[in-house]
Amino acid sequence: MKKRIITLCYRKIIDVNSNKPWEKLVFEDSYKEFKMQAQFYNQDKKYNIFSELIHNVKGSEKLHFLVSGAIIDYLRKLNDIVPDIANNIGKPFLTFKHFKFEIINSDLRNIDKHVIAINFYSEPLIWHDTIAPYLLTSPIIATEGDVLTDMFAIQPFLTIHSIK
Amino acid sequence: MERKNFLRSLVIGAISTPVILEACKKSSTTTSEVGTTTTTTGGSSTASCAVAPTETEGPFPTKVPSSYVRSDITDGRSGYKLTAKIVIGNSNNNCNPLANAIVDIWHCDAEGNYSEYGGSGMQATNYQSVHFLRGRQTTDTNGLVTFTSIFPGWYSGRATHIHVHVYNAAGTSLKVTQIAFPEGTSSAVAAVNGYSKGMSGYTYNKSDNVFSDDSSGIEIATVTGSTTAGFVLNMQISVPA
Repeated sequence: MKKRIITLCYRKIIDVNSNKPWEKLVFEDSYKEFKMQAQFYNQDKKYNIFSELIHNVKGSEKLHFLVSGAIIDYLRKLNDIVPDIANNIGKPFLTFKHFKFEIINSDLRNIDKHVIAINFYSEPLIWHDTIAPYLLTSPIIATEGDVLTDMFAIQPFLTIHSIK
Repeated sequence: MERKNFLRSLVIGAISTPVILEACKKSSTTTSEVGTTTTTTGGSSTASCAVAPTETEGPFPTKVPSSYVRSDITDGRSGYKLTAKIVIGNSNNNCNPLANAIVDIWHCDAEGNYSEYGGSGMQATNYQSVHFLRGRQTTDTNGLVTFTSIFPGWYSGRATHIHVHVYNAAGTSLKVTQIAFPEGTSSAVAAVNGYSKGMSGYTYNKSDNVFSDDSSGIEIATVTGSTTAGFVLNMQISVPA
């Protein structure tokens, strides 16, 4: 197989059922920030649900960006390592420098309806080969001698984001 | 389907088998928590039997304040230094100072641009200026918040302005407003002269759709200073708390 350069995207969904400490902090703080920021687009207090705001209030799509300000320091605490995704020997191996935060839905009256996504865009990998169902990849670093590799399977919410 | 996988995994090596089976179990619990759009993976195909991360768990994260909570909101944007001192008074209490109110301000840079998502929607974690010229402070016992920023630029259709959103301590909105700037030959707006844009096509306060009805000038701040020494803005805002 010809070597290709790929980047992956892992879309991490966080909702009321997410129970790991980091996830809970991101969940709670993003909800608090949403409740504050949404008020700018809801001064008549007409809407309660995020999807209603997005459909009816011009400019409210800025809320994805505005609410991301509440959690960017939590992302920095990950030390550039994409959470949840491990290689086949159980070690996290994907690094990221770029992300995109999304509000999937939310409700000003009820935190249980708050659902967000963080899209983690990995640093480029060399895709050497596929040994089904595993991809054999390595990060792009100059090495002499053996190239250190990872093997991992494509799993739900993980995709190849770009290729060249 | 599951039996075929089991037999295949035996071929790889007896040691690896329990890990893969365990991982299938683990991965189905980690993915089923992600919300109503997921189908449970149940290990029926090898592709979804991804090994879950198994590493020493790091120190548990502690709560951090929103990245907006900072006094210096410049974030590397170039422009003349501006110190903004805003005092919040309670209109339900003779305009006495309102302590512990949360004050958000935001404004455009020298070119007239606000911080927002770029075209791709991606942000960089190590890029400090992603939320440039946006900040949040809490009023002290004198109702005062101070921000260090740059003198705003301008964009078509609007006079120079700073957006302000005042909340109570619980985050409930008390007031959404904007600060206008004094005009005239000796004003800061004249001295800054629109940065590299100049003032051609500039909208002055009396033509501005937000400030044109402010006959008493209550929305206009006091601005002193110079382009060399920097500017100081003082503003009093009353909110119903």
